[in-house]
Amino acid sequence: MRSAVIVNLFLALGGALLCAGVTLLVSEHVIDLEGSRAWALLGAAIGAIGAPIFATPLVMSMSRSLASFEADLRASVEVEGAEPIRTTGLLATSRRAVDELRATLVDRAQALTTKVREGEIRQHLGEAEREHLETVLNSLHDAVIVTDAFNELKLANEAAASLLGFDAGDSLHQSIDSVIGDDELRKMIRDESATASVGHRKRTDHQFPQFAHGGAEADAPTACYDVTLACLPDAKKGAGGVVTILRDVTQEREISQVKSDFVSKVSHELRTPLSSINAYLELLVDGEAQDEDARQEFYSIIRSEADRLSRLIDNMLNISRIEAGIVKIDRTEVDFKKATEKAVGVIVPQAALKEIAVTVNATPLACTAMADADMVQQVLLNLLSNAVKYTPEGGRVIVTVDNDDHEGAVLVTVADTGLGIPPDALPKVFDKFYRIENYKRVAKGTGLGLALVKHIVETVHHGVVTVTSELGMGSKFTFTIPYEYEGA
Amino acid sequence: MESMKILVIDDEAHITHVVSLKLRNLGFEVVTAGDGEEGYELARQHKPDLIITDLQMPYLTGLEMCAKLKALKETSHIPAILLTARGYALSPADLDRTNIKEVMSKPFSPRGVAEKVEEVLKECGGATEAEAA
Repeated sequence: MRSAVIVNLFLALGGALLCAGVTLLVSEHVIDLEGSRAWALLGAAIGAIGAPIFATPLVMSMSRSLASFEADLRASVEVEGAEPIRTTGLLATSRRAVDELRATLVDRAQALTTKVREGEIRQHLGEAEREHLETVLNSLHDAVIVTDAFNELKLANEAAASLLGFDAGDSLHQSIDSVIGDDELRKMIRDESATASVGHRKRTDHQFPQFAHGGAEADAPTACYDVTLACLPDAKKGAGGVVTILRDVTQEREISQVKSDFVSKVSHELRTPLSSINAYLELLVDGEAQDEDARQEFYSIIRSEADRLSRLIDNMLNISRIEAGIVKIDRTEVDFKKATEKAVGVIVPQAALKEIAVTVNATPLACTAMADADMVQQVLLNLLSNAVKYTPEGGRVIVTVDNDDHEGAVLVTVADTGLGIPPDALPKVFDKFYRIENYKRVAKGTGLGLALVKHIVETVHHGVVTVTSELGMGSKFTFTIPYEYEGA
Repeated sequence: MESMKILVIDDEAHITHVVSLKLRNLGFEVVTAGDGEEGYELARQHKPDLIITDLQMPYLTGLEMCAKLKALKETSHIPAILLTARGYALSPADLDRTNIKEVMSKPFSPRGVAEKVEEVLKECGGATEAEAA
């Protein structure tokens, strides 16, 4: 600044001297008068002295303005991290310097514009990726929750919001304490976050109450969820939060339990007759039967238990084949009146032992349907056998055979005056291996007879089997077999 | 040993028959029952030296019956053997609330049952007599 002022003073002085000289020369050549020459010299002297005096403040003011302008300009275009703009004070006073500065500014502006565009593109891409991620997450049946290092909700899909009863949009960036109502799940997330170990994974089963919209119902059933928790990295590769994935495995666990129960029941049912066979054989081998009568009794028991085992295996295999759809079905025109008479003929000796009267009431009209004759016989025998087994001595069994033209099916009922079925047991009587506990002593059974009846009637023949009963008064089983099955 | 009384409980008549036959041949006095409730009543009535019981039975399961018997002062000392067709392992809680000493699986050997009976009676005989006294 100071050097600029000095330079300007010299320039002003030089200018003044130049003006004085020019004035003198003009005076000498143009005004060649004795008196005028002296005046001219005086004017030149005054010009030489006055010009710097008047010019210097003007020049200094201009210099200060330009310097200030340059400084302001430079400050306004400085970009953090960018190389500083190099100018000198003298440049501020030159056109070239301003041009250079303008060119630099244009470059910087273009660079900034490019960066802004790149930023906008990245932002759009980021938003698109987030939307895509949200779409993917929302399409999942599994609930996904992402929390940050402060255990605040960062991301959650619709399944998670539905399961845990919160609003996915309103709950973002809120603490899990105010979003997740389940204490155990919150603890799991906090514990996983506390491990602060990127890549750490934990899997566990957890029971959840089934949530309705807005919260759990008081008597809501529980669902079993497979919970996976994984510690996530943050931008600096440190532990930055937790992703929690909850998969509903209720059905899988139930199926697994059903399978386990089935194997357990099969095992129990097979072991029971096998136990008798094994034990009586050992007594025979050890000579513990006291006489021939005892030995004959043992042989008879072994035979009957072996038959029981055989029936059990046959029933199990038949049900399995029907369930697997691999049973061979031989459809012919079955006369249900004849089929019923045949089955009654088989069961009458057993009924006679208990003085139970078995009556058949059949329609005088023809009563036929396209069906597998052996399987129909199996159904009739199972129902009649049950009726006789659970009817006390002197009771009655009545079989009715008729046509249900409205339904287009043969209709058969087997009614008895037996023990009847308790109301709570009625829905379960067709289940595999189900036996009414208190009736086990009344009669033996595999618990598969009615399950097989249901499969033969409904799965194989597309009919319907139902039961009504009054405890102590008797039971009535009804089944229908369509005259023709179009899908056959 | 000959005078000892054993209660056999099973809802399968063939099982009670074959087990009681084996034990009678060995000189034991045998009482049989066909369900848990009948077994409970007979145990109170006869106060046997040992009970052999099935697990799954009408009215009262073998476990429930044994728990009820242990809760009664007059029958709390009677040891029991569980004879079951289900794979079953006694939990510490089951052991605590009953006096079941052994669990045997079906199918079983009558000889094996007889050996187990003698083991349990030998093991519990002193305690049984002392408590009964």
